[in-house]
Parts: sequence; structure tokens; C-alpha cells
Amino acid sequence: MEVTQVLLNAQSIDGAVRKNAEESLKQFQEQNLPGFLLVLSGELVNEEKPVETRKLAGLILKNALDAKDQQRKVELVQRWLLLDGNAKSQIKAGLLKTLTSPVSDARSTASQVIAKVAGIELPHKQWPELIGSLLSNVHQLPAHAKQATLETLGYLCEEVSPDVIDQDQVNKILTAVVQGMSSSEVNIDVRLAATRALYNALGFAQANFSNDMERDYLMRVVCEATQSPDVRIRQAAFECLVSISSTYYEKLAPYIQDIFNITAKAVREDEEPVALQAVEFWSSICDEEIDILEEYGGDFTGDSNIPCFYFIKQAILALVPMLLETLLKQEEDQDQDEGAWNIAMAGGTCLGLVARTVGDDIVPLVVPFIEENISKPDWRQREAATYAFGSILEGPSPEKLIPLVNVALTFMLTALTKDPNSHVKDTTAWTLGRIFEFLHGSAVDTPIITQANCQQIITVLLQSMKDTPNVAEKACGALYFLAQGYEEVGPSSPLTPFFQEIVQSLLTVTHREDARESRLRTAAYETLNEVVRCSTEETAPLVLQLVPVITMELHNTLEGQNLSSDEKEKQSELQGLLCGCLQVIIQKLGSSESTKYAFMQYADQIMGLFLKVFACRSATVHEEAMLAIGALAYATGPDFAKYMPEFYKYLEMGLQNFEEYQVCAVTVGVVGDICRALEEKIVPYCDGIMTQLLKNLSSNQLHRSVKPPMFSCFGDIALAVGEYFEKYLMWAMSALQSAAELSTHTAGDDELIEYINTLRNGILEAYSGIFQGFKNSPKTQLLIPYAPHILQFLDGIYMEKDMDDVVMKTAIGVLGDLADTLGSHAASLIQQSVSSKDFLNECLSSEDLMIKESAEWAKLAITRAISV
Amino acid sequence: MADDSPASHRRDPIKSSVGNVAAQRRRQKAVTVGKERRESLFRAKRLCRVGATGDGDVSVEENDMITDEEGFLLDAQTSSAVGELKSAVASQGKGAMQKRVNALRELRRLLSKSEFPPVEAALKAGAIPLLVQCLSFGSPDEQLLEAAWCLTNIAAGKPEETKALLPALPLLIAHLGEKSSLPVAEQCAWALGNVAGEGEELRNVLLSQGALPPLARMMLPNKGSTVRTAAWALSNLIKGPDPKAATELIKVDGVLDAILRHLRKADEELATEVAWVVVYLSALSNFATGVLVKSDVLQLLVERLATSNSLQLLIPVLRSLGNLVAGDSHTTSTVLVPGHEITDGVIKVLVKCLKSDHRVLKKEASWVLSNIAAGSIEHKQLIYSSEAVPLLLRLLSTAPFDIRREVAYVLGNLCVAPTAGEGKPSLIEEHLVSLVQRGCLSGFIDLVRSADIEAARLGLQFTELVLRGMPNGDGPKLVEQEDGIDAMERYQFHENEDLRNMANGLVDKYFGEDYGVDE
Repeated sequence: MEVTQVLLNAQSIDGAVRKNAEESLKQFQEQNLPGFLLVLSGELVNEEKPVETRKLAGLILKNALDAKDQQRKVELVQRWLLLDGNAKSQIKAGLLKTLTSPVSDARSTASQVIAKVAGIELPHKQWPELIGSLLSNVHQLPAHAKQATLETLGYLCEEVSPDVIDQDQVNKILTAVVQGMSSSEVNIDVRLAATRALYNALGFAQANFSNDMERDYLMRVVCEATQSPDVRIRQAAFECLVSISSTYYEKLAPYIQDIFNITAKAVREDEEPVALQAVEFWSSICDEEIDILEEYGGDFTGDSNIPCFYFIKQAILALVPMLLETLLKQEEDQDQDEGAWNIAMAGGTCLGLVARTVGDDIVPLVVPFIEENISKPDWRQREAATYAFGSILEGPSPEKLIPLVNVALTFMLTALTKDPNSHVKDTTAWTLGRIFEFLHGSAVDTPIITQANCQQIITVLLQSMKDTPNVAEKACGALYFLAQGYEEVGPSSPLTPFFQEIVQSLLTVTHREDARESRLRTAAYETLNEVVRCSTEETAPLVLQLVPVITMELHNTLEGQNLSSDEKEKQSELQGLLCGCLQVIIQKLGSSESTKYAFMQYADQIMGLFLKVFACRSATVHEEAMLAIGALAYATGPDFAKYMPEFYKYLEMGLQNFEEYQVCAVTVGVVGDICRALEEKIVPYCDGIMTQLLKNLSSNQLHRSVKPPMFSCFGDIALAVGEYFEKYLMWAMSALQSAAELSTHTAGDDELIEYINTLRNGILEAYSGIFQGFKNSPKTQLLIPYAPHILQFLDGIYMEKDMDDVVMKTAIGVLGDLADTLGSHAASLIQQSVSSKDFLNECLSSEDLMIKESAEWAKLAITRAISV
Repeated sequence: MADDSPASHRRDPIKSSVGNVAAQRRRQKAVTVGKERRESLFRAKRLCRVGATGDGDVSVEENDMITDEEGFLLDAQTSSAVGELKSAVASQGKGAMQKRVNALRELRRLLSKSEFPPVEAALKAGAIPLLVQCLSFGSPDEQLLEAAWCLTNIAAGKPEETKALLPALPLLIAHLGEKSSLPVAEQCAWALGNVAGEGEELRNVLLSQGALPPLARMMLPNKGSTVRTAAWALSNLIKGPDPKAATELIKVDGVLDAILRHLRKADEELATEVAWVVVYLSALSNFATGVLVKSDVLQLLVERLATSNSLQLLIPVLRSLGNLVAGDSHTTSTVLVPGHEITDGVIKVLVKCLKSDHRVLKKEASWVLSNIAAGSIEHKQLIYSSEAVPLLLRLLSTAPFDIRREVAYVLGNLCVAPTAGEGKPSLIEEHLVSLVQRGCLSGFIDLVRSADIEAARLGLQFTELVLRGMPNGDGPKLVEQEDGIDAMERYQFHENEDLRNMANGLVDKYFGEDYGVDE
């Protein structure tokens, strides 16, 4: 095969030629993979070949090593590892040689492929000479080859994890990179490549950042690079600083003053991409300090991992004015552009983070800016002032903010109706929303909304819903938080008199021609949902009246036929909103006996519509419809059985939906709802459901977040069907056992520990459900063989000392369930376990009432089991 | 990654649309509601507490789950897992043990993953010597367990793959001993059971290496899963055809007691495995059969048949009963004596099986009945007057062939008296007349037409009884009415001499030249 021609053909504009070429490439690959890859690397290295075929050859090579899809990726990695060693060395030699090519595209492609190969081989201790050979003569190389080598090192650091490269090699990489960045390097491209490589290599530099001299040197080089004449280098250097701010926060103290000066200058004077990174540095510092302060409740005791250095607090006098300046640099139409991101938005966002970090201290620094600008003729000043106000509403104490809000509220309401500028109105409505979000509700002592101003607020907000879509959307948002603040208001809500009017206005908004702009329709429906959710008994008849209205809307979406894909998407989106709305309504009406009874007249009709919504799609399941059905199942109880024959296939479809794991997770939740509704009537469907659950659990494609609810779902099913669960017991227990083994120990970051705890909770809920399901059945003995392992699991997680309160409560509950269900059969096992003593005592003295209650019950159950 | 710059930091703006978060919150709330309901259900259930019941226990079967992972990938992973194991076995010092266990566990996981475990890949990569090494004495339990588990799954493969376990057998047997922890012993028993199930050759190897006594001793305690696995392995090991192993087994101290105890008390799963042991004992070894019939085992089998509805259990129990009835005349002559309670019990459970929906049960029950019906006059009368006869008659006309044949033996046996010595059996006219009147003849004539020699012989023998024994010389007419002449004439030139002579003889004798002249 003449590969060059085929590769050219593969990029032909003629579809047939292209297809043909792709086909023969595929065939070649299937017939002789090593040969194929070898030919591709030969093409890439060959200086006589056209640049486009070299690039494509490299790209195909890269795609043969990595894929987005996890399963596919594993396959590719295995395939490469098993490939003939000779072919591999030849390919690798070709790739390394390409790095010296005068053609920049060829070099860059080769860099990426080398990194992919390294990503596979280095963890397997293969290609140990790679880094050495890249670095061996980096000083003598011509500039273009040096640039390619540095780029390769950068990609390599992105691909492999720090633990597979030993410190000696890390040092060499960093040395080469830092030399490439230094001012002694005359070539701009080399310096850029080096700076970008450093960005990826920072994660490898733990040891170097712990050494004062090395750290000083690294920091100096980075700071120097922020002053480069080349904008790309300056941006890359600031990106390095951002990364350092989160990775090495605790090492920053000696440099923070210099960094402030550098960033301040960049924010004020540099081009926007650079300025944005300079702001980002401070946002990132805020993130760190907020995390630290949250974790230690503000009073740092000295014995924890990372102390708070209060960089923000110290810099605030200079930092806040700098950020306020950025607010005046708005773009004209940024409110209509959902993807907009500019220096003003970044500055306001950072200001909000600063407010959360320092609290009250920010107020006196911002108020003068607001007062000075809020009434200026230039809309930019009015908007910036409003934006500043809105940004600092989270963080400072209500005592500090409420006096300000009381003064500002009337002004804001006027601005929202009268200001000539839409941008100002948009920000004003958003600020009102923030006021209601953080300063209105049962948690706040002094109400800012009173009988005196309530009517005016609602009138203004409803009026603004007729404004341009972006303003109307923000007005909906404000109403959303207004309603939320009355969630726990008691039997009578101040919103009751306006309920009908609010609902009517929101429905009108959903019908606006331009409702799809600025996500207005979504905001309107979600606001309607919140108004319904937070409503009281007084307005229940009105909520009931909404049922036929929303049902009719949903019915209307089913009318269209032969829709284009765009129309289909719109239809599906609207159906989602309406199903979401019905979900909230069903939940609301189902929560009290009187309204539930009245609602039931609509149940058949609604379920029929949900099924039709499912039928609109061929292969996927509508997530919102699924959620709504969960609510319906709860409301209808055992009667839901009549819908099952028709609904079951969609349930199964949802469980099978790996790709959209949220859909899968939601469906698993709905299975739980249905179990609770149907109880033993779920039996005919259990085989299918359990098969699917076990299949899902054994798949390595499934998103990990779905696993815990799946385990809980075992518990739901066992609880519903009781001893009938016997037929699944062995498999379920085996799945639980292997998951339990994996989740006994946690090692990793907070996120992983949090996940492991949800996983533990799912496993424990399954055990509880199974024990309780078998209780009082003649088959409890079937569970005895599993008891040792379950107790071992409880002991294991207790010993790890890292479970959260939720797990603690569930775990002690399982201990009680085990004792209660197995009784004397488990007595000696229980007595041997640590859980029954130390863990139980710890729970008994817990301050958490739920844990205490569970523990007391477990103690009772154990006492009984042992005494018999 | 091919972008011009590394991914720039970009965060969500503080000023965002309410729709973004609201929908998320609403969904979370829906999930929370579900959780709260589960919680309240748990709590409600915990409040109403009633004592736990039940005794005995049941095995933990570690099982695999289904995946549709491609074989290719699985093979590749398996080879690399064996590679890992190799390096783990070679490594020394701190952490080496954990490394070995991890490597074993990974291999075991791969071997347990699919319905078609990558056994070939594992063998090719050299797994067996490594696994044998992991079984060395003094290894930690976890390691032994994982290694034995791997071997169990390898042994479940094709015949030559099972044979690959040969070097591992001595150690697997060694770990069955009392010194081993129960899970280890059980896992080794499982592996050996798989090996024994493969065939006679491997069974003989195992027996010569002394696998039987320790497995037999594992049956003695009341530990459910261990006994079950051991019983299953034993039933594979004594499958014969040489009866020696079965005889050896019943001679092991305590085994008979254990069998009786488990049959009396154990749950159905365990009883099933134990019943299979009884099946092979009674099928192969006259000695064992003799020992068994003198014990309570018949009574226990009858009780199980009466009380269980598990097909898995009923089959081996029924077959054991049949073996004991057929294998030792002592059973029918001194245990199942008409008038004894147990005899009525047996007939009752057999009737229950005849009524069942399962073909195997019907067939086995008919077989047992035919053996009892071959006994004394009193046995025949007992069956004749039981609920079994109408059921048998119906089965003879409607059931599948294999059941009909067994049923025909019962009905045939009911019509002939026990004989001493050669010659044509003498008739029990009362039974014959009544059964023929109730329409059984056509069923037997059908058998005459069958290609199965034994069934055809049975059909002819019964036809002979009818021709000879029906009062008033009604026989020939009845046979003619059921197209019996035609059925017999097919044998005119049949290759089986015995049948040919029998059929031709009957036709000549009863339908010769004189036939029909009287009318």
C-alpha cells in the first residue's frame, strides 16, 4: 500500500475517495497492527513526505494509543503493551527522530505521540531511557528541536502521574525546563514551550518546592517570565502562578508581596488573557483560604496540615480597589451572551470570593465605591456599583449588611423599573435575588421584607418579567429566592395573596415568543416549581388547579410529528421542564392525605402522558419524566402496580443507560421509590431489575457515582420483597462483599474519601435492607454465613476512623439489624467484634441525635441477641 | 492537548442564571426525599421487633458476575496478571506477602469474571507452577484461599485444562486437613471436586493420593457450606465405575451418621448434596447399599420426599430410594413390608411424584414402583389398590416414551405373580382383567410398535398375557381391536431373533388358520 497517497485521500474533499481511503487504513490496521503503526511512524519521520500526511499519520498513531472512552482506552493500552517489541522500538526511534524535524507540525505531532507512549509504558517500567535520551543533548540542539523536546516533556508530565518518575529524573526535567525559560535563552518559541512545560511539570516538583533554594529559583524564573515581551509567555507564566497558588499555597508567603505587584500591574495594564489569569490567581487563593477556614471553623489550632496565611486579609486594602476598577470594564452585550467571560466578570467573581474569605472587612471598602457610582449618568458606573453590591452579599454578617440593604432596596426596585439601561436592570434584578438568597428567610432575625414592602417587591418583579429576556430571567431568579425564603414560614405565607397572580405571570412568561433566550423559560418553570414547593395549605386548591393546566401543556408537546432534530431537542427540553413541574406538584399534593386524594383523579392521565413522553425517544429515557414517575409512585402507593407492565421497559432502559449516568442514577432511585410503593408487588419485576443492577455493577464503564445508590437499591428491593430476595442473595452479597473490601480503606484526597463514604453508606443500606427484609422469615439462617464478613467490614471502617456521620449512623444501624435478625446465632460473633463495644460506645455518646438513637436501638438488639 | 495553550483557568461567573442551579437542586431534593423515605422505613421496621428464628446454615458461594468484556482483553489482562504473580512470587521481604495476595486476587477476579474464564490464557502464561508455589505449607490463609480459588476456576475448564492441575493435587489434598482453616479447606475441596468431576482417570489419581478420607471427614461437622462442598466433591469422587471408592467412603468412621444427620436436619441445599452422595453409594456399592438399608436412611428419604418441593432435592432423594429398593432385596423383603407404616409412606410419596409436573420425577417414581411391584403378591396388591394405578394408566397413554416404558414395567409386574424357576409367569387374573378393562392394552400395543427393543419386548410380553389370560378367550379379540395383529406382524422379518420368534409365535398361536372360523 502506498500510504502517502492513502493518507492524502483520507483528507480529500471528495467523500467517496475519503471513505475508501479510511476503509483501507482500517483494513491495514486490522490485518497487521505492528506493520501499520510502523508505516505510520515511518511516514511521520520522513522529511520527503508532505506535511499533511505526516500530521495525519501521527494523529492516527496517537489515536491508536488513547481514546476518550475508558473501556476503549484500556483495550488500546493492552494492545500496545502486547505489541511486538521490535516494532515498538522502531516506532519509538522514529518518533524521537521526528523531534528534530525542521517541520514544526511534524515535531509537534511527534511530541504528543511520544507522551502517549510514555503514558502507557512508564508506569510499566518500560522505556526507562526515554527521559534520559530527551534530555541528553538538549543544550546542543538547534532551537526548533529544543522547543520540540521541551514541548514533549510538557506533554509527558501531563500524561504520566508523578509517582512513576523518580526524583532524579524530575530534577533533570525541571532543570531543562527552567533553563529553557530563563532570559539566557534567546529563542522565543523555546521559552514559550518551556513555560508551558513547567505548567505541567509543577505537579512533579513537590520535593523542589520544599527546598528553599530551589523554590526561590523556580519562583524567580516564573515571575521573570510574567514580564516577557511575548504575550503568550506572560499568559503561560501567570497560568503557572495560578497552578502554584493551589498546589503550593503554604509555600507562598515569601513571594506574595511581589506577586501582588506583578498581578496588579497585569490586571491594570496587560492584555485581557493575561489580566484574566492575574485575577484568577487571587480567586484561587480565595478558594484555598475558604477551604481551610471552613475546615477548621476559623480558629486554626496549629496542628493541622495547612495553616491559613490570611493572604487575602493582608492584601485586601490594595486588592479590593484593584478589583473594583475592573468592574468598570464591562462589554456592551455581555448579558445576552451566555458564554461571555471578561475582566469585569472575573473581577466581580473574585470580589465575591474575597467577601466570602474576609467577611465584614470588605464592606467599608466597597460601600464608598457603590455610593460614588450608583447614580452616575454613565451606565457603566451604575452597573459596576450594583454589581459590586451584589457580589459582596455572601460572606459579611447580616448585621453588617441589613442596614445597607434596607437603604438600597427601594433604590433597587426603582432602578429595576426605571433605569434606561438593560445591563443595569439585569444586574439590579440579580442583586435583588442575591439579597433574598442570603438575607431573607427564617434564619435571618430582622426581616427585610415586610408587610409594607412585600406587595411592591412582587409587583416590580412581576412587571420585570415582561422586560427583555435577560432581565426577565433575573427577575424570575429573584422571585425564586423570595419564595424559598418563605419555605418554613408556617401555616400562612405572605405570598398567599399573590399566589394566583405569580403563577399566572410565570405561565405567561413560559409562553413568551422569546422564552428560549437567556434560558428564560427554564427560569420561569423552576421559579414556578419553587413557588409551589414552598406554598402552604392555604393555596393547595390553587396548586391542584395547576395539574390540568400543566398536563395539557405536556399533552401539547406530543402533538408534533416528523420533527427535525432541532425541533426534537426543543420538544424534549420543554417536556423536561413540564415533567419537572409535575414532579414538584405531585410531591406537594402527595404529601398530605387530603390533597393526595384530590390529586388521584389525574393519576392515570398523567402516567399515560409520561409513558408517551418516553415513547417520543427511541433509545434513551427522559430523566425528568423518570423523576416525576418516582413522585407519582409514592403518591399512588400499591396501586402503581397497574402501570408497571407498560412502564417496566422504560425502567429497564433507564437502568441500561450507562452513557448518561445521571439517567441511570435517577432510574435507580426510582426503582427504590417503586419498591416502597409496591412492596411485594414488585416481585415479578425483580429478576429483570436485579439482573440489570448486577450487570451494571460488574461493568467498568459505569460512572462510579451510580454505584452507591445501586447498592442502596438492593436494600430497597430486599426490604420490599422480604425472603423472596433469597434467589438474589448470593450474588448480591458477593457484589456487596467485594465492594466492602474495596471501601474499607480509604487512601486519597478528600474527594475520594467522600466518595468512599457514600459507597460505604450504600453498602450498609443494602445490608440493613436485607436484614430487615429477612427478619421474621424462616429463612434468616441464610444470612448467618455472611455475618462474619459484615462484622469485619463494620470493624474495618471503624478502625479507619474516617467515616462521616451519615456512615456512622447507617453502620451502627446495620449492627443492630444484624443482631436483631440473627439473634443468638450471631451472639458470639457480635461479642468478638470491636464494633459491638468501642464503636457502639462511641455512637452512644455521640452528639448527633440520629446516631445516638440508632446506637441505643442497636444496643438493645445486641443485649437481646446475647442474652438468649 | 493539541491546543495552542494549556487549558486556561476559567471559572463560573458569580452572576449566573437561576435555571442552572435550580433544576439541580430540585433533582437533588427528589433524591433526598427518596432517601428520607428509606430512612423512615428502616426506622419503622426497627421498632417492631420480633425474635429471630431458624437454625442451621448455608454456604457462601463466591460467585462471579456477568460481564460482556471481550475475550481478547480478558486474555491480555490474564497474561499480565500471571506476570504480576510471577514477580510477586519472586519478590522477598516486607510487603511481599501482600503483593502475592493482591496478584492472586487479581488473577482470581479475572478467572471469575466471565462465563468463559480465560483459563487457556492463564495456563499459557504459566499460572500452575506459580499457584502450586503459593499453596506451599505455612503460607497465610488468604494466599492459600486465593490460590485454591484460582485453581478451582481453572479446573472448571476443558478436560485438558483440568488435567493441568495434576501438580497441584497433592497440596490441595494436604490443605483439606484439620489443621487448615475452614475456608481454605472448603476452597480446596471445591477445586478437587472439579477435578474429580472430569473423569475416571483423574478420580483414580485423586483416590490414590488419598483425597477421600479427609473429604469424608469434612462431612462430619455441622458447618453448612463446608459439608455441602465436601459432599459435592465426594459425590464426584466416588462416581466409579469402580465401586471401591464408594465402599471405602461408607466405611469411614462417622460418615453414615453424618449422612443420616444431614438428611434429617440440614436445609434443602445441603440435603441435596448429601442425597447425591447416597445416590452414588447405593448405585455402585452393594456393601454400601447393604449398610444404608439397615439404617434409618429410607425413612429419612421418604420424609424428605414428603416434605420438600425442591426439584433439585427430590431427584437425588428419589433416585437413592430407587437404588436402595432395586439394589438390595432386603429393602423390599424386610423393610418395605406391606402393613408397615413406612411402606405406606413410600407409596404415598411416589404417588406425589407421579402427580408432579416434572418428567424426571414421574419417570424415577415409576421406576421405583416397578421395583416394588416386582416383589411379593402383597406388594402388588398394595400398589394395585393405591392411588397410583389411575395415575399410571393415564401416564401410559399420555406421557413421553421414557416414562411410558417405566410405567409399563409397573403395570406388567402387577399382573404377574412371583415365580420360582423358569417358564411362563403365572397370572394375577384380577389385576389383568381390571387393568385391561381400564384401557391399558392400547398403551402396551403402542410399545410393541416401538423401535426400542426392551419396550417392544415388554409390549409383546403383556400382549401374551392378554391373549393367554383374559377369561372366555376374549384376549385375541381385544388384541385385534387394538390393531395388535398388525403391530406383531411387523416382526415377521425382524432382525432381533428373540422378538421375531416371540411375535411370530403369538400370531401363529392365536391368529392362525383357525382364527375367526367360529364366528
